[in-house]
Amino acid sequence: MSFWIFLWKAVFIVGVVLFAGMAVWVTIGGAKDIKKMFAQMDKEREE
Amino acid sequence: MESETAKAAVEAALSQTNFSAYDWVIVGAYLLISVFIGLKVKKYATSMSTYVTAGRSLGTCLGIATMTGTELGLITVMYSAQKGFTGGFAAFHIATVAGIVTFVIGFTGFVVYRLRAMEVLTIPEFYEKRFGRNTRIVGGIMLAFGGILNMGLFLKVGSMFIVGITGMPQDGSALPAVMITLLTLVLIYTVLGGMLSVVLTDYIQFVVLSFGLLITCIIAISKLGWSNIFETVEKVMGQPGFDPTVEGAGFGVEYMVWMALIGMVSCAIWPTAVARALAADSPETVKKQYMWSSLSFLIRFLIPYFWGICALVYFKTQAPDLDELFLGDGENMNNLYAMPVFLGRILPVGLIGIISAAMIAAFMSTHDSYLLCWSSVITQDIVAPLMGDKITAKGRITMTRMIIVVIGLYILYWGLVYEGSEDIWDYMAVTGAIYFTGAVALLVGGLYWKGASSTGAMLALIAGCSAVLGLTPVQRSLRDILPGSVGSMPVTEIGKAHITVKDANFTPDSLVGGKLHIISNGEWQEVKVVSNSKSRIGVKPWGSKFTPKEGDEFSYYIGIPGTRVGLLTVAFTIIVFFAGSLAVPDRSPPSESGGDTSRQEPTGEDSAAETANTDEEGGDA
Repeated sequence: MSFWIFLWKAVFIVGVVLFAGMAVWVTIGGAKDIKKMFAQMDKEREE
Repeated sequence: MESETAKAAVEAALSQTNFSAYDWVIVGAYLLISVFIGLKVKKYATSMSTYVTAGRSLGTCLGIATMTGTELGLITVMYSAQKGFTGGFAAFHIATVAGIVTFVIGFTGFVVYRLRAMEVLTIPEFYEKRFGRNTRIVGGIMLAFGGILNMGLFLKVGSMFIVGITGMPQDGSALPAVMITLLTLVLIYTVLGGMLSVVLTDYIQFVVLSFGLLITCIIAISKLGWSNIFETVEKVMGQPGFDPTVEGAGFGVEYMVWMALIGMVSCAIWPTAVARALAADSPETVKKQYMWSSLSFLIRFLIPYFWGICALVYFKTQAPDLDELFLGDGENMNNLYAMPVFLGRILPVGLIGIISAAMIAAFMSTHDSYLLCWSSVITQDIVAPLMGDKITAKGRITMTRMIIVVIGLYILYWGLVYEGSEDIWDYMAVTGAIYFTGAVALLVGGLYWKGASSTGAMLALIAGCSAVLGLTPVQRSLRDILPGSVGSMPVTEIGKAHITVKDANFTPDSLVGGKLHIISNGEWQEVKVVSNSKSRIGVKPWGSKFTPKEGDEFSYYIGIPGTRVGLLTVAFTIIVFFAGSLAVPDRSPPSESGGDTSRQEPTGEDSAAETANTDEEGGDA
C-alpha cells in the first residue's frame, strides 16, 4: 500500500505544480489569442 | 416524526455554510458579464462556420483554455468529487490515465490531426466524406441521441452544487428554481453568440477556475493537514482507498480498462472535445493543444477527487454531524452534496463567492458547448442533409438556435424525472457509449483502414445502441430475463427490516449481498439483502422516505455493471464493423474530396478543395 500512497502523492503534487504554471501561461497567451481572433474577424467582416 | 427529525438535521447541517450576501453579489456580477458577452459578440455570428467553430481561428492558448473550460464542467467536478468521496485515492487512477492518454493523442495526432486536416465542421460530416450521406444522417442521429441523453443530468447535478454550497433548503422548490435560472442564462448567451461567446466565457472560466481550484486545495490542506488526509483515508477505507486493482472501492482491473478507453474517447472521439480540434487554426496547433491540455484532463479529475476525499476526511475528523448525515447507519444524504457542503464550511466569505462563480462558469461553459455541439449536429448532419442542403446559412443558424432551446427544455425535464441508482460518472459513461462505441470504429477505421465500408459503418452505429443496457432503468425493465433474477412477486408481509413472501414456488438460492427492488405505487426502492430463508428476506432497514406495504411487488436481480456492458458493447461494435466491411465492401473508393486520408496525408491543395466543399455544405454567407 505504501507504493500507492507514494504514487498518488507524487501524481497530485507534480500535476498541481505543472497545472499552476500552465494556468499562468494560458491566461496571458489566451488574452493575446482573443485579441488576434477579433482582429482577424473584423478584417473578414470588412472584406 | 422520524422524517421531520432527519429533515431538521439536514437543514441544520446545511445552514452552517459561510456563503453570504457578499458572495451572492460576486456570483451575480459574473452572470451579468456572461450575458453581456453573448450580446456583444452576436454581430460576428453571421455564418455557420463562425457560429459553430469561431471561424477556425483559435490559437494554442485559447484552444487550451476553451478545451479545459468545456471539459472541466461543474458536472465533472461534482461526479469526480463523488468518486473521490466513495473511492478515496484509488480514484486517482482515472485522472492519471486520462492525462496520459490525452498526451499520447496529442503527441501522435491520432484521429484528431487527420480530422482537422480534412476541415470538416462536425464528426458526421466526416462520416459523409468517408462513408456516404446515409452514414452521416444515422451517425448524426446516434450522436445527438447519446449526447443529449448524456447531458441529461448536467443541469440537475450542477444545480445541486449551488444548493449545497449556498445552504438553500434541499427539498421543495429551491433545486428546480436554480435549475430554471441557470438554464435560462445559458440559453440566452449560447443562442445569441454561438461558439464565439462559448470561447470567451470558456477563457474567463479557465482563468477564474484554475486559480480557484488551486487556492481551494491549499485551504483544504491547511485545514485538514496533508498527512492527516492520507492517514484518515487509510484508517477509514484501508487498502481499497489507495489501490484501484483490489475490490472494495468499486474499481478493479475491468474498471481500469474501461477508464483507459473512456480517457481516449473523452479527448479524441467525444464531439465537444473534437470541436476544439476542428476549430484550431492548423493541424499542428491541434497537436500542441492536446499535449498541453493533457494537464487539464488530469487536473479536471484529480482536484475534484481530492476535494471529495477531503470532504470525507473533514466529516470523519471535524464534523460529526455531517459524518452522521452522509455516512451514518440510517438513511444517508445524497453524497453528491458532500463536496459542496464541505466547501461551504471551509472557504471564507468572498472566496466562496469567487469559487461559486467559477463553478457556475464551469457549469455554463459545459452547457453552452454541449448545447451548441448537439444542436449543430442536428442542423448540419440530420436536418440539412435530409432537406437536400437547401437551407440558407441564416436558416441554419435560426434552426440551431431553436434546437438549443428545445434541448435545454429536455434537460430540465430529464433532470427532474430520471431516477437511476448508478454514480453520475457511470451514468455518463454508459450514455456516452451509445455514441462513442460506434464512433470509435468509424473514426479509427475510416481514417486508418482502406477496407472500411459504409455497410460496416452503418451496422457499427446501430450496434452501439446496445450500450443502453448499462442503464439502471433499462435493466429494471429487463429484470425478469437477467441471469440469477427473481421475477416480480407480491409481498405478503412487511416489517421494518424484512419482507415475507408466501409463495410455494419461491425457492431462491441465497440472495444475501444482492439488492432487492421493491416497487410501491410505481416508485422503486433498492434495499440491500442481509439474510434470507425460504420465504423471509432480511434487509437493511428502509429509509424514512419510503415505506413499502403489503401487496407491493418485489424483484431481485444482480445488475450487470455499466463497465462490463460498455466494454462488451465496444468489442461487439468493432466486430460488427469489421464483419460488415469485409462482407459488404464498398463498390467504389471514397471520393477525392472525401479525403481518403487512409492513403495519404492531406496536402495544401486537398485542404483548399475540402474547404470549398465544406463552405458549400455549411452554407457560409
